[in-house]
Amino acid sequence: MKLLRQLRNLFRKRALDAEMAEEMRLHLEMQAERNRAGGMEAEEARYAALRQFGNVASLQERAREGRGWVWLEDLAKDLRHTVRALGKSPGFTTTALLTLAVAIGASTALFSVINAVLLRPLPFPDAGQLAVVWETSAQQGVKREGPAGPNFYDWREQTRLFQDLAAVELGSGTVTGLGEPRQIPAMRVTANLFAMLNVRPALGRLFAPEDGRGGRQSLVVLSHGFWENALGADPDIVGKSVQIDLIAYQVIGVLERDFWLPVQGEFFVPWPDDELRHERGRLAHDLGVIGRLKPGVTAAQAEAELNVIQSGLRTAHPELSGWGVTVVPLQSVMSEYIRPALIALFGAVMIVLVIACANVANLLLTRALGRGREVAVRAALGATRGRLLRQFLTESLVLGLAAGVLGTLLAHWGVILLSAVVPTTIPIPDAASEATLRSFEIDGRVLAFGLGVSLLASVLFGLAPALHALKTDVVHGLKMGSRATTGGRRIREALLVAEIALALTLLWGAGLMLRSFSRLQHADLGFQTDRLLTLEIELPTDSRYRTSREQGEFFTRVLERVEALPEVTDAAVTTVLPLSNQDDRVRFLIEDGPILPPNERFQADLRRVSPGYFRTMGIAFKRGRLPDRHDGAEGTAPRVGVVDEAFVRRFIPEGEPLGRFLLLGRTRIEIVGVVGDVVHAGVDREARPTLYVPFLQSPASRMSLVLRAAAAPESLIASAKHAIWSMDRDLPVYRIQTMDDVLAGASSAPRLTLSLLGLFAAIAVGLAALGLYGVMSYAVKQRTHELGIRMALGASSADVVGQMLRQGMGIVGIGLAIGLAAIFTLGRLMQAMLYQTSVRDPFALGVTAALLVGVALAACFIPARRATRVDPMIALRAE
Amino acid sequence: MANNKADLLQGTLDLLILKSLQHEPMHGFGISLRIQQMSKDMLTVEQGSLYPALYRLEDQGWIKSEWGVSENNRKAKFYTLTASGRKQLTTEEQSWARLSTAINRVLGNA
Repeated sequence: MKLLRQLRNLFRKRALDAEMAEEMRLHLEMQAERNRAGGMEAEEARYAALRQFGNVASLQERAREGRGWVWLEDLAKDLRHTVRALGKSPGFTTTALLTLAVAIGASTALFSVINAVLLRPLPFPDAGQLAVVWETSAQQGVKREGPAGPNFYDWREQTRLFQDLAAVELGSGTVTGLGEPRQIPAMRVTANLFAMLNVRPALGRLFAPEDGRGGRQSLVVLSHGFWENALGADPDIVGKSVQIDLIAYQVIGVLERDFWLPVQGEFFVPWPDDELRHERGRLAHDLGVIGRLKPGVTAAQAEAELNVIQSGLRTAHPELSGWGVTVVPLQSVMSEYIRPALIALFGAVMIVLVIACANVANLLLTRALGRGREVAVRAALGATRGRLLRQFLTESLVLGLAAGVLGTLLAHWGVILLSAVVPTTIPIPDAASEATLRSFEIDGRVLAFGLGVSLLASVLFGLAPALHALKTDVVHGLKMGSRATTGGRRIREALLVAEIALALTLLWGAGLMLRSFSRLQHADLGFQTDRLLTLEIELPTDSRYRTSREQGEFFTRVLERVEALPEVTDAAVTTVLPLSNQDDRVRFLIEDGPILPPNERFQADLRRVSPGYFRTMGIAFKRGRLPDRHDGAEGTAPRVGVVDEAFVRRFIPEGEPLGRFLLLGRTRIEIVGVVGDVVHAGVDREARPTLYVPFLQSPASRMSLVLRAAAAPESLIASAKHAIWSMDRDLPVYRIQTMDDVLAGASSAPRLTLSLLGLFAAIAVGLAALGLYGVMSYAVKQRTHELGIRMALGASSADVVGQMLRQGMGIVGIGLAIGLAAIFTLGRLMQAMLYQTSVRDPFALGVTAALLVGVALAACFIPARRATRVDPMIALRAE
Repeated sequence: MANNKADLLQGTLDLLILKSLQHEPMHGFGISLRIQQMSKDMLTVEQGSLYPALYRLEDQGWIKSEWGVSENNRKAKFYTLTASGRKQLTTEEQSWARLSTAINRVLGNA
């Protein structure tokens, strides 16, 4: 009942107030009448009654309090007042809103990326239990590599800690019959993959265990995108067939639209368990393995168990010696590479936010000082400190929340922009592969973050002016002619010092990253990267190119055709391109070299190349000779090979490498030449020992064609394709890229990070300059009187400017000092992210400080100059 | 239970107001007069506490109010004891009796 009554009271406030006033008035009259009846004069009676009654206004107030909802009424009043006050000073409001909105928008947009990559759970039920399993060999210098089929099956059978393990292999298939023949990325997966991931089909069904038995089944599951784009979202697709690699595959299902795997394929075919288990060697290293841990099992425990199983396998199969197992949670794998960059960017954007808040705090403080009298009057009228504080905080909250709304809108566009520029794949460290990022969007968590940041900002910038206003001396404030109180200078200067220190730190961080990045761009990769066009050709081995001789012949002829083109300076083929995701390795012993334990071998990267490869790529030739046409086809001439300097350093550090023989299985290969190192794994990595053999001595069905163009490499694309198709019309040609594109792709993530960091640093410096400008302008205004006197007494403009500058730059100086101290302490944290750049790089530090000082100087100078324009007569009259 | 001085006084005032309304409705001025009379001038209700108390009691539902005309033809707001108010009056009287007995005992045995 009470609650109902209170609710009713809420809506009848005005009527109730009127009633109450009426009641009190009547009471007063009755009291006055009584007094008169008791003998007082009319006036006296009334005053006596009033005195007895007490302060009517505060009575009504307390009575109203009895009604409840006072806080709500006060809040409504505060809100109305705030909105009105903000409207009356549009300049201040706009500046504050924009400053905050930009800062909040930037941090929210960045948070949406962080949310997508680091925080959001992967789109599978119980995704926390999924982990990637790799083999690893410290001996061979391999940190993460997929296992071979037989190993995978042994793990799967013997493990007690995994619910299930599934394997995938990324490949591609030529799809014909749907227009132009196209090479589509596809995956061959064990039949239990989808069941393990617990995903549902959009149409039809997904693989079941029987699909993995009885040889290669011609069944296919399509991705949603492929079904929509290539098959026109045919609702009856289940049961129809698709031509892949000239075989008809029956479609059994379509995946949902938001299905996602770290590696992307457009369609999936099942693996026959028998083939995978028996027909491959244990060192094939082809598979990607994902497992689901049992509830409560950690990756570390699973890793320990699998290592035990693996040691059992090593005993039974000695060729596995040196190979262990590592288990990494899938969520971790997705975020490893990008986490440091994201954290750095988040730190940067938080700095921007703090600087923005400091600026707004300064603005509010200035404004609050101008309202000193208003505050004094309120206090005199009986407003409690709590009430005043509440009013100020309401103002901050309104400002903060309004900026938050605006900022979230900005963030929305920011996210769209980011989605366009952020690369879709990120490298998986040490694994020579890439993972596809999921899209980022503004979801509930991001919105909550935006709200939180707005509230936090409100508190941050609202506290200082609020606390200061409460210190107002009531008497002083009420005095005539004291419209603006002085003071608050300490706080304002302190805020500014903080801003400058923070801006310096951020600018320095960006400067370091810039240097590191530019060093990365100019790193020596070991070959000439300009004007190179690369493309990949895979020969179908089912029909025409079955034997290695046919394959070798094909590529030889392609080279001849292409070299004949006028725009082509040089051409070559290779099995593995630098900086690509491909890899090929070989195990060997050195004749008359170090003796290794049984079944242990050395390992190096293997490249099968044409004779012109080194010339085409511009790889430095060091010693001996390069293979040429006379090192003929397999079976005839003695086998030769060329090694790089990294190989020599690692395996033949002493003595002459030329003339030594390498034993690959039963083959003897003579080292006839030494060439320069070429970086493969990443631009910032070291070169690995590499062995180059003539491709004719061991041809492959899949090779990359490399062309050096006379002019722009893009101009070669059409003629190269034509040359290939003139030999074989049905051969798809794919991964056509210029080496410049490959390099740009490899550095797109660091470039983006750098751009964002630079943007934030620029905003931070801009805001700090703006803050400095504002404070200096205010200082000039405050000292107008004094300056006028000085100038009237003969001070020159230069003196005045100098004085103001000294005041301003003094603040900047303190800020710089604190900033430098912060830099020296934080420096160590940045080191990990830099390439060949030291955190103590004096150039970066010097340029940064100089830049900041320059900007600050400009920000101080303009108001200082304005000070000299003051007409002394006006200044002297001003208060 | 009253647990500080303000509560004790507030509760006491409530009791006095309820009691003064026991037999007939009355307006605020009249209530303060009646309390004064009934206590033989020993108690004067501070007007500043009377009205807040009246509104509080009305919120609790123990008295209800309506506008009417007073004895000298003035408009006034009259308060009446409700059924639950009567019950509350009895309860408060009893607890007051217990309280004063307890205090007397303490003072008597001091």
